Amino acid sequence: MIKRQTAWMAAAATVAALALAGCGGGGDSTSGGKTKVVVWDGYEDAQGKNLTALIAQYNKEHPDVEVTQLVSSSDRVLQKVLTAVRGGSPPDVAYMFGSWAPNIAKIPQVVDMSSYVKQPDWKWDDFYEGERQAATVGDKIVGVPALVDNLAIVYNKKLFQEAGVAPPTPDWTWDDFRAAAKKLTDPSKKQYGWLIPADGTEDTVWHFDAMLWEAGGDILNSDNTKAAFDSAAGVEALTMLQDMAVTDKSLYLDTTNANGTKLMNSGKIGMLVTGPWDLSSLPDIDYGVQVMPSFADSDAGHQTIAGPDNWVVFDNGSARKQAAVDFVRWLTAADQVRTTSLASGDLPIRESVGSEASFRRQLDQNLSGSSTFVENLSNVKKARPSVEQYPAISEAMGQAIVAVLLGKAQPAQALADAAQTTNDALSGG
Amino acid sequence: MAGRWRRLGRSESATGWMLVSPGAILIGIFGLLPVLMALRLSFQKSDLLTPDTPWVGTKNYRQLADDPRFAEAIQHTIVYTALFVPGTMLVGLLVAAALNRSVRFISVYRTAAYITMAVSTISEGIIFLWLTDKDYGLVNATLNTVGISSQPFLASTSQALYVIVAMTIWGWTGFAVIVYLAALQGVPAELHEAAAIDGARPFTRFRTITVPLLSPASLFLVVWLSINALQLFDEVYLTTRGGPLHATTVIVYYLWDQAFVQFNAGYAAAMAYVLFVVSVLFTAVQFRLARKYVHYS
Repeated sequence: MIKRQTAWMAAAATVAALALAGCGGGGDSTSGGKTKVVVWDGYEDAQGKNLTALIAQYNKEHPDVEVTQLVSSSDRVLQKVLTAVRGGSPPDVAYMFGSWAPNIAKIPQVVDMSSYVKQPDWKWDDFYEGERQAATVGDKIVGVPALVDNLAIVYNKKLFQEAGVAPPTPDWTWDDFRAAAKKLTDPSKKQYGWLIPADGTEDTVWHFDAMLWEAGGDILNSDNTKAAFDSAAGVEALTMLQDMAVTDKSLYLDTTNANGTKLMNSGKIGMLVTGPWDLSSLPDIDYGVQVMPSFADSDAGHQTIAGPDNWVVFDNGSARKQAAVDFVRWLTAADQVRTTSLASGDLPIRESVGSEASFRRQLDQNLSGSSTFVENLSNVKKARPSVEQYPAISEAMGQAIVAVLLGKAQPAQALADAAQTTNDALSGG
Repeated sequence: MAGRWRRLGRSESATGWMLVSPGAILIGIFGLLPVLMALRLSFQKSDLLTPDTPWVGTKNYRQLADDPRFAEAIQHTIVYTALFVPGTMLVGLLVAAALNRSVRFISVYRTAAYITMAVSTISEGIIFLWLTDKDYGLVNATLNTVGISSQPFLASTSQALYVIVAMTIWGWTGFAVIVYLAALQGVPAELHEAAAIDGARPFTRFRTITVPLLSPASLFLVVWLSINALQLFDEVYLTTRGGPLHATTVIVYYLWDQAFVQFNAGYAAAMAYVLFVVSVLFTAVQFRLARKYVHYS
């Protein structure tokens, strides 16, 4: 998942979406003898320039194909795609958040990639495990990895020095993290040890997910029929958050989820748990990157969560479908992955690229700390459950976490309530 | 009745219909048709993803009746509307009265009063996020200097909705000012002069002459602002995302969440219809009351 920007959107009521569904006819399959491939994505700045350049290169090398691009916010792409599907004119390829995969799998026009990626020239197994999991729903593969990231500690070196705290090590436990956060907190300077997005959206929840897994817990049981996050591990993870937010007051609750990187860049926050996308927004501070801490009493070790997003292919007739599949295969091949990563600072989506030492050095030169995130990809051991009720589960967990952070609920009770909601949703209530 | 139909046949009205038809057809396609499709959707189960949309009868509506979060959203919408509408009108009236005079640079002041309408909702949202930030905001810094402790504002379940009320009053004041300013120019000066000769003080004249003569403008503002208040979405989406803990989840935000986050489009459509009926009833009541309180001359 790329950082959900403070997205701009007008009131998008159902009525409006359906109104739009009326417009737009089916596109021609060819224009001037070329097969058209329409790509929808939300890439801007360096990412955007890179993709535009790659598309131009592809068009040059493939005179029979014309790939065009429509850029709009990734947050809204699902709404747009749903509308376009209803209107009978979906794009050929769209960038879509991995957490939507179970829902996307239900769209009839989405191309099941499983038969394609089996072919050896795809090198499917070279994509990181977590990415492949996130693209798989049951026996379908709904997309091809487009972007991957993960969470790690990003810390302000100067604030650590001033507070006399040793910087985070790869052996840190959450108790070390808490103690450091407490020392980094200084109410007189309005300085906090840590900041967490606390708007109750998936951005809040995935921070907790990683802690839950580190404590030895799981989101759902093994056959995805019941909540499992209300376990002792869940309570331990949420209690850690409660201790920092309520007891120590060392945790800044970003309830509107708009301030995180700005406050970090202004030197008001000691640590963020965040992904590589934020690094380029921290030009004013000297920061370090370290893997997430572990829980001392758990053998689950250091983990993290990856939010892989996908290129999803839509069926607009066999010619366009084949052209779209070919384009996506080219775009996600090792050479293009390397180019993309070096140009944009995104993590490489292929293990073969991520393991090149020279590549990692180059990546670090472009943006300090990036290679730690690449290495951290191997700490991705679990993925969010691929169930279509996930939005409801995420919502329930998000509210439980925020209630505890705001001091309005106790961890065990809040998780039990959220588990009840989750079980109701899973049983089709 | 027959007479009316004959009149319609006259060439003048035929020309009239032709002139309005491009607009009417567009409104029909993009306004009316979706309204009818949404009505159908409200009796279906739809996730917007699959073409399969089974009829569920009135289930969506019955479910609404038992949904505590919908009840909560209605409550927040009512509180919001009850504060936002009179608040905006009062501030707008006071500012308009202050601007209704000839002093130097009056057009600068009038532009300044209206400019909040020209500020995009996004900028408005971001400005208020920072102004009301619990630790780093200007509002708390100001409160601190006069000895009041910092307030959590948007981070508090009990304060967030009121911050949004304040923010939207700020954003809409310019609109109310323009409407009232135009109406104030229509208040005849001789009425004031006559009352002044009779010994009425300025405040009495304002209350007994100006305010009643502004009643058509007030009616327009009540209706217009209420309809907008019932549809509050942008500011909530941009600042609190309905939180903390649903404290600012108003009806349209909940509707959006159900349709596009939870994929319950049929349920969301039912919600939209409840809101639609309430808006119509609300407006009808306002017009009914207006008969008694609005003076057109």
